[in-house]
Amino acid sequence: MLGLNLIPPLVRTALSMLIVGGLVGYAGTAFTTTLVADSGLLGGGGESNDAHKYMIALLQRESDNIARLGPSRDVVSRALQQQNVSQQPQDVKPLTVTYLGGGSSGRVSVQIYAVEIQSSTGQYQFLPFSLTIIGGRVQHVD
Amino acid sequence: MSSTRAALILATFLGGLVMGVVIYAVTDKGAGANPYASLPKTSEPAVGADVARALANDDARALSNQLDMTVLQQLQTAIDPLVDIRSIKFVGAVEKNGRVLAAYVAGGRTNDGTDIVRGFVLRVTGDQIVGVN
Repeated sequence: MLGLNLIPPLVRTALSMLIVGGLVGYAGTAFTTTLVADSGLLGGGGESNDAHKYMIALLQRESDNIARLGPSRDVVSRALQQQNVSQQPQDVKPLTVTYLGGGSSGRVSVQIYAVEIQSSTGQYQFLPFSLTIIGGRVQHVD
Repeated sequence: MSSTRAALILATFLGGLVMGVVIYAVTDKGAGANPYASLPKTSEPAVGADVARALANDDARALSNQLDMTVLQQLQTAIDPLVDIRSIKFVGAVEKNGRVLAAYVAGGRTNDGTDIVRGFVLRVTGDQIVGVN
């Protein structure tokens, strides 16, 4: 702190303003971009971070992340979901995951993916997934 | 002298503000990396565009001519609970081994007047829609 006294007051004030301005700019941009993405003000055509994380969690059978990003549920429903995830066939391997696009209206947004999966027996499937997101949580998967 | 000082302070604040925005833009990772490969996007299949047009125009006759009953029922399930479609947007399509998945987002109203969006995907093989998800 003693060293600060060696800096001329004008420079000290200017440095403070630079730091405050930087923080306001960073936090303001983060807040605005999140608000715009969640409200769909610009059409919501870009991939949502929540949808992306949910999709990856779904394919990698991360039941904790699926529960965290999915709709709010009671403890019994969450336990059932964990059982469902653990009972899914383990030999299914995702080959490709392609984000096709999305749209939104108000707080509701839809994000669509195409997924190629293959089981160890060689069975191949080319499937679409449509995620409905409300308030940052995936409410429905079609 | 004091106005010069005020201008300098304001300028450094604005400089910091711009710097903050730039740092956010550079460090923001967006949706995150995809650990899997992606397929290249393809153009909208013509049959998909016809179905989208029929939905947008509220043209039940055209839809019944384009799709068989099974696919129509799948489409009905996919857009439920939309009853009044106001917009249809093609958002993207991918193709693999002659099979195309074409994605659409439909916007409109439910029976109780709520504005919602629904996503659906047309499964196209050759020039035919073989299913809807």
